[in-house]
Amino acid sequence: MWLVVFLLLLLLVLSAGAQANPAGFDDLVLQADAAREQNDVARAIELYRQAVALKPEWPDGWWFLGLLQYGTDSYTEARDALTRYIALTPNAGPAFALRGLCEFETGDFAASLNDIERGLSLGAANQPRNEKILRYHEALLLTRNGNFEIALQKFAFFAGGKVPNPEFLIAIGLAGLRTPLLPKELRADKQDLYMAVGSAAFRFLSGDEKTAGQEFQDVFQRYPTAANAHYLYGYLLFPRDADAGIAEFKRELEKSPASAPTHAMLAWGELIQNNAAEALPYAEKAVAEDPALPSGQLVLGRALLETGDVKGGIEHLEKELQLEPNNLEAHLALVKAYSKSGRKEDARRERLLCLEITRGEDAPVARP
Amino acid sequence: MRGLKSRLSGVLIPILIAITILLAMTCVAAQAQTSPESASSACAGCHRAKATSQPQTPMGRALLLLPGPDAALKANPKLTFHKGDYTYSVETRGDNSTYSVTDGKGTISSPIHWSFGNGAQTWVFEREGKWYEGLVSYYPNIQGLDITIGDAALTPHTLEEAFGRELLHSEPKDCFGCHATNAAQNGKLNLDSMQPGVRCEHCHVGSNTHLLDSLQGQFDSAPPKLGKMTTEDISSFCGQCHRSWEAVMRGHTRGIINVRFQPYRLANSKCFDGADPRISCLACHDPHQDVVREDSSYDGKCLACHGSSPGPASASGAAGAKSCPVSKKDCVSCHMPKMTLPGGHMRFTDHEIRVVKAGDPYPD
Repeated sequence: MWLVVFLLLLLLVLSAGAQANPAGFDDLVLQADAAREQNDVARAIELYRQAVALKPEWPDGWWFLGLLQYGTDSYTEARDALTRYIALTPNAGPAFALRGLCEFETGDFAASLNDIERGLSLGAANQPRNEKILRYHEALLLTRNGNFEIALQKFAFFAGGKVPNPEFLIAIGLAGLRTPLLPKELRADKQDLYMAVGSAAFRFLSGDEKTAGQEFQDVFQRYPTAANAHYLYGYLLFPRDADAGIAEFKRELEKSPASAPTHAMLAWGELIQNNAAEALPYAEKAVAEDPALPSGQLVLGRALLETGDVKGGIEHLEKELQLEPNNLEAHLALVKAYSKSGRKEDARRERLLCLEITRGEDAPVARP
Repeated sequence: MRGLKSRLSGVLIPILIAITILLAMTCVAAQAQTSPESASSACAGCHRAKATSQPQTPMGRALLLLPGPDAALKANPKLTFHKGDYTYSVETRGDNSTYSVTDGKGTISSPIHWSFGNGAQTWVFEREGKWYEGLVSYYPNIQGLDITIGDAALTPHTLEEAFGRELLHSEPKDCFGCHATNAAQNGKLNLDSMQPGVRCEHCHVGSNTHLLDSLQGQFDSAPPKLGKMTTEDISSFCGQCHRSWEAVMRGHTRGIINVRFQPYRLANSKCFDGADPRISCLACHDPHQDVVREDSSYDGKCLACHGSSPGPASASGAAGAKSCPVSKKDCVSCHMPKMTLPGGHMRFTDHEIRVVKAGDPYPD
């Protein structure tokens, strides 16, 4: 009896396998693979197209189709093929990353950033060359999206290597001077400034602070009205020498009195020295100038919290998290705010979120 | 004659008392203006019990200056340790101790000036303009040297790297900032004003001013009472040195190594409530006294919430806590287990209060 059932099941499986390969499909695959290996890209694309038309649930066909189309600058078609592949293989990091690169070329920058970040989180940066391409594009997109500080952190990945090409330096300059553009979108007459700033920032990120300092001074002399130049230098100096960083922020305010990020950093400088009362006016100014600046909402939330206005603090910290849902500092401050105000369960939820955000990022050295 | 004597006594005695008080005040004021250490004894004028007991606690002895009487090193005048290609030694002659590392070809030696810790000792060195934390430390449980806690993952490639981990940016200030008093001036490390150990001024900022003002009968400048802070704020306050919840998060210090960071561990407890004083650091510990080691002494603290009757609501209005079905004694022996830190030769009480189940991984 069991033998009969087994044979019936076997027949069912075999017939299903036969259905999976329609007539002519196997030949098409062989021809397509051969064409791809012979670098006959146009023919390979055509054959893969025919193969997936015959069998749309064949993931490899969509992958090779997308890959080859990307290589021929057919970005829209490549994106669509990769979308079909992702539908069949939802955790394919390289496919997300490649689709992100297609979207970068088609100008769909929000989708591009989303896909590249998803791809990186799924292990797309599995080879040094791939990692460089993806992280560079991620930094470009973050800059264009206005996430300048995060973009600078991404550019730091390249620090220490050889001095990059002019476009790369301009890209760092754009992030540094808080200009939401791609290098190719920058006016020609502005390129020297951004390249000089990018070079100084790259040297700083590479640890050559002395040369970086000289290059920044040169920038200040050659471009005395350049907005955010002192802010950038202060931002880079701040973690190592808070006083020097604050001095640069104050110089920036002399040139740009309404600079919201500069006010936010000055507030931050006071907060980390436990001077919440002194931080408050800077934080209020930062939010007044730019309510959509996440760091402004963060510093105002913290300054209010630490000067006793727990309710007001929570309001701004929650606004910050609407802008940046994974900002650890905002979650940490909310833990404290909820905890102090007796919202035990909310505080616990925030603690668990913080633990989740920081998981997998163990410190190499735990200090005594 | 007797009348004169009596009149003189009537005048002289108050004058003598006044002079005595004035001298005492002058002496106290001079102490207050000189150093936090002497300020501690000056504080004893009014806060005798706390100012007398606190300097004897591990916090009060968190830093030892050398040359000086270091009982552990004197009892072990020649300590050696090998790791990979490197041999470490700490030699003590009289009050002087020297830390050395050699790879057989070269040697780096440095006199020990700053010994951090009141049981285990870690040494910090200033060498050629840089600060280092010795890569090996002294552990009393083995009466010998081993890798400094937290540095086990480091693999030195040069003699200099083997000597110690370079302390970058604010780290030297942070080390002295916690193990000493007045070690920072305007945000910078200042060893001229530094006094070893945690003194009154370390926690009670402004106590020197309060001391001087009190001599004038002014008490408005008394530092805020730290015990009045919320439980969350006390946790952050103690966590400035014992590592707060947010500091551990920012430092990504995960795994059993964070068992040393009590404010972090306590805040991870399900029962932690930042608005409930029954779970604050100060509910169980008096920082002016040595840590109480007997498990039973904490039962009352646990039962304040987990009593036999349905527990009282917490300060934030949460439902009462469950009572333990197993025992009402030695609660911490089960719910706050002692953990041995790998390589640390020390046991720490895990402050994450929980129902511990056999085989459960360490909840980091």
